[in-house]
Amino acid sequence: MVVNSLTFLWFFLFVMVVYYLCQTKKEIQNVFLLACSYWFYSQVDIKMTILLVILTLVFWLLGKGIYHFMEKEDEQKAGLMTSLGVTIGIGALFYFKYLNFFAESIASFASFIGFHMSWTALHLVVPIGLSFFTFKLMSYVLDIHHGKILPEGNIVSFANYIAFFPTILSGPIDRPKPFLMQANVARLFKPDQLMTGFRRVLWGMFLKMCIADRLDIYVSAVWNNYEHHSAISILFASLLYPLQMYADFGGYSEMAIGVALMLGFKVAENFKRPFFVLDIAGYWSRWHMTLTSWLTDYVFLPLNIKFRDWGVYGTIFAIMLNMTFIGLWHGANWTFLLFGIYHGLWYIPLMVGGGFFKKRKIKVNAHGWPKQEYVWKMIGIYLVVTFGLMLFHSATIGEFWHICERIATHWRGGLFTDLSAMVNGAICLTALIYVDIQEEWFPKYQLPLPHQINRWRWELTVAVEIVAILLFGVFDNNQFIYFQF
Amino acid sequence: MKKLLIHILIIAGLFFVIDRTAGLILKQLYSQSNATDEYKIGYANAETTDDILFMGSSRCLHHFVPSVFKEAYGMTCFNAADWGIKNIYYHYGLLGNILSRYTPKVIVFEIHPCDYLDTPYSGTERAGSLAPFCGMSNECDEMLRISGNYWPYKLSTVYRYTGSLPALVFGRWGGMDRSLKGWKPLDGQLDTIGLKAEEFPFPVHQEKLQLLERFIQECQAKGIRLSFIVSPMYICTKQDIYKEPCDLAKQYNIPFFDYFRDPQFMGHAELFYDYGHLNREGATIFSKKVSNDLKDFIKQ
Repeated sequence: MVVNSLTFLWFFLFVMVVYYLCQTKKEIQNVFLLACSYWFYSQVDIKMTILLVILTLVFWLLGKGIYHFMEKEDEQKAGLMTSLGVTIGIGALFYFKYLNFFAESIASFASFIGFHMSWTALHLVVPIGLSFFTFKLMSYVLDIHHGKILPEGNIVSFANYIAFFPTILSGPIDRPKPFLMQANVARLFKPDQLMTGFRRVLWGMFLKMCIADRLDIYVSAVWNNYEHHSAISILFASLLYPLQMYADFGGYSEMAIGVALMLGFKVAENFKRPFFVLDIAGYWSRWHMTLTSWLTDYVFLPLNIKFRDWGVYGTIFAIMLNMTFIGLWHGANWTFLLFGIYHGLWYIPLMVGGGFFKKRKIKVNAHGWPKQEYVWKMIGIYLVVTFGLMLFHSATIGEFWHICERIATHWRGGLFTDLSAMVNGAICLTALIYVDIQEEWFPKYQLPLPHQINRWRWELTVAVEIVAILLFGVFDNNQFIYFQF
Repeated sequence: MKKLLIHILIIAGLFFVIDRTAGLILKQLYSQSNATDEYKIGYANAETTDDILFMGSSRCLHHFVPSVFKEAYGMTCFNAADWGIKNIYYHYGLLGNILSRYTPKVIVFEIHPCDYLDTPYSGTERAGSLAPFCGMSNECDEMLRISGNYWPYKLSTVYRYTGSLPALVFGRWGGMDRSLKGWKPLDGQLDTIGLKAEEFPFPVHQEKLQLLERFIQECQAKGIRLSFIVSPMYICTKQDIYKEPCDLAKQYNIPFFDYFRDPQFMGHAELFYDYGHLNREGATIFSKKVSNDLKDFIKQ
């Protein structure tokens, strides 16, 4: 069941009515929310729901155990239990996502150096959202161990944190503290919050259906048949791909955040105009922000501290490992691994030049627009990201190599045109770029909340947005790109 | 709660006004567009009053030259076919819309395996092209219901034109030449390297077959002379892929003109644009041949 489907709409309307009917009793509200979340997830795979329940229970008990030993000042046992939690989390990820990949890679390498080894691939179904909810589970035990939070006493609240249906499939990867604080108070019916959430859902639908799915028609037509297309067409499709990804995943995140807000939960933001940056660090601080901050807190910072004696080389080592994890998080494929390493390499000049820990701000001219030199830098970063995503999009390194080869050699032939996809996409992209520019450099002109302005203007905007989605959207239920991760 | 209800009511009201106003503009643009899809679908559904209609998929669109038939029979003629692997879900709805306006004298229906086989690439979604004509006939609405989009089309006029704004705006300046009466000639010659016959390893689709039967019944009920026809291919499968429509034609006593493996065309690359579509020259030769062969049937 995808968030932008009619089935989800009926499901969500039912949830909303019952949820706010029992708004004065938070326990009933939480139990109902949990039942809905499990039902939602069971629509994907009932067996995986059982796995989700078991993991939730195990981590809840681990949390209690860690705190118990911490209270007794038995750091060794607390650490052991935390390690057990992390091992279970990584183990689940490894088993479902990476086992076949690593085993096959080892077997191939062994054959390459003369040892005979074989591996029969296991037919494993990767639970949807596994990478997202295992990260939540691990952050829970780690935060308890680091003394950032107390263990959650109420299993229902904790289970809601893990299985919360707006975010379970593709994030954002919320942290336990802010979510559990909200889960432990009754969420009251607030029309303004509801309307704001609805606006975000609408905007997310616009991004997904009018931009991502429109661009996908062109990008897939070229990329899936790259051997028949000219270099210009492949390059053009590649330049569109970052925007497609942004609209797809950003759109999903907007919808998830909007639906959560309509249920009274403020979840973490995931995107913040990621192409308006001057370096790769800026890009990752605005792209899939919850994953980046998770890995920064739990991987990069501990590694950086561990290797601080090595100076800048320690930081480089830590960031390279961190970026490799980011790449591999997306799946078991050499292209993802190289994608991570590629991004890691772009950090090196920043670290050597001392710009890594500095926040580089885009300077604006007297009219509030970014200065020309910064515009060129932003374009440069966009090209860097584009090249990385070409790697990301390729099924194998061989395919990536063939695509590069074709770009280098097939300059004859014009640009493949699909008038409908290109014009519809261009109109909607203009809207996205306008909104992003406004929010980045002219925030005072942003559309205010419903209670802050004339009622008609707010409602008119919503009505126009709905009409725009109906006019420009693609309605054949394309899956979200990030569901596969 | 009251505040929220007011919000919702105002949004619904505004949406209704904007949607209907924009829908009217889009409808106007649609009827004036010369883009292939919009012109072909719009004219066939809502305007044509010609004596002879050719219906079918892209092979029909490119193969039947109305001027040749007009000259041969002295009857007005329109090629109402459209590309995009349209199947019986579309054709049946189109027939309903046409019959809600007038009754043509003759319909020549180019049969394609998509009209009765369970082809994965051509299913109920093809009826979506009828969206701008939602409410025009029961048959059209039935097909939209089967495609699962009837109520969204009913609720929103704009949704009926989803994704087609560029074609509607730019279509005014290009696309189809209206004087060709729906025929879309293809210029160029087939490159035969590596060609293989298209296979159809799909089972019969009962719902499609029933619709094909209903298509025949409705034509016969209205006294329309209906014939099935199959155009030539450059290279043909050995499968007997036209058995089901052939049986139906026998059952209802309608003529079935089979040119699938016609030696005058099969293997003659100079007459084809690609392996399944005749080029301009091939289409003209084929239309002359068909106009001669159908003379008795048309002038009954």
